Amino acid sequence: MYIGRVVGHATSTVKHPSMKGCKLLLVMALQGDGRTIEGDPILVVDKLGAGKGDMVMVTSDGIGAREMLGCKNSPVRWTVLGIRDKR
Amino acid sequence: MFVAKVTGSLVATQKVKSMTGHKMLLVEPYRLDPDTGTGLKGTGRSLVAVDTVGAGEGEFVLIVQGSSARLTPETKPLPVDTAIIGIIDTVHVGSACVYDKEV
Amino acid sequence: MRIGNVIGTVTLNCRHPSLSGARFKLVVPQSWDNLAGTSEESMGEIVVFDELGAGIGSRIAMSEGREAAMPFYPDVKPIEAYNAAILDTLEFDTC
Repeated sequence: MYIGRVVGHATSTVKHPSMKGCKLLLVMALQGDGRTIEGDPILVVDKLGAGKGDMVMVTSDGIGAREMLGCKNSPVRWTVLGIRDKR
Repeated sequence: MFVAKVTGSLVATQKVKSMTGHKMLLVEPYRLDPDTGTGLKGTGRSLVAVDTVGAGEGEFVLIVQGSSARLTPETKPLPVDTAIIGIIDTVHVGSACVYDKEV
Repeated sequence: MRIGNVIGTVTLNCRHPSLSGARFKLVVPQSWDNLAGTSEESMGEIVVFDELGAGIGSRIAMSEGREAAMPFYPDVKPIEAYNAAILDTLEFDTC
């Protein structure tokens, strides 16, 4: 699991059916200092309603993703697990 | 998954029992030549891969790594993390051919 | 899912039987610098299983690792990277 900042979003018409109706957020994963970028840009499936600028907790648990999407065949691995409260 | 060239084979008499009868090949990952973009270039790295398709030395192959390497009936019981799953005929970038097995 | 740019195709006749009919694309995974346009340096191409029909120049979302083979469950196929979505738009602001 990572903390990351939502920096944008993507839209897609042609996609795996399990992702229908889901928001795809572009997340910048960050290290402990909250500034240093960790890894590559990742697209994360969101059902909680996170938006640009939000700090989110993301998980790479595929089993959880498939449960969330209600689809045993989903290729999705990254999902938003929570939105950090604004201070 | 990535493109690699078979550079050799590996024989081990003493090995984990489940590996008996499985062909192990040495492969070198290849990538698009960063200078010209018109051909493939070796990376200098070397990996050992279990073969599922009958590849031979000098051929370009498709490699799968990680837990997905065990997602074939042949490799399912094996303690492997790299498998050859196909022999490559061509690689095109845009409409330009950067590798052709027949040439 | 990482983001990738489709730059080419890979063809193979001799392949594992579970992959018959599969189409493979040559894809460049995108770094933050690539997306922002501050560097064109590529991390190296990868080969992605594509059943959505992404064309050259498409930007796609790639599922990698074990999840890449989940669309075929309960069948098993040795797939490590799968085109999960062809992106129509990608809007972002990295500052």
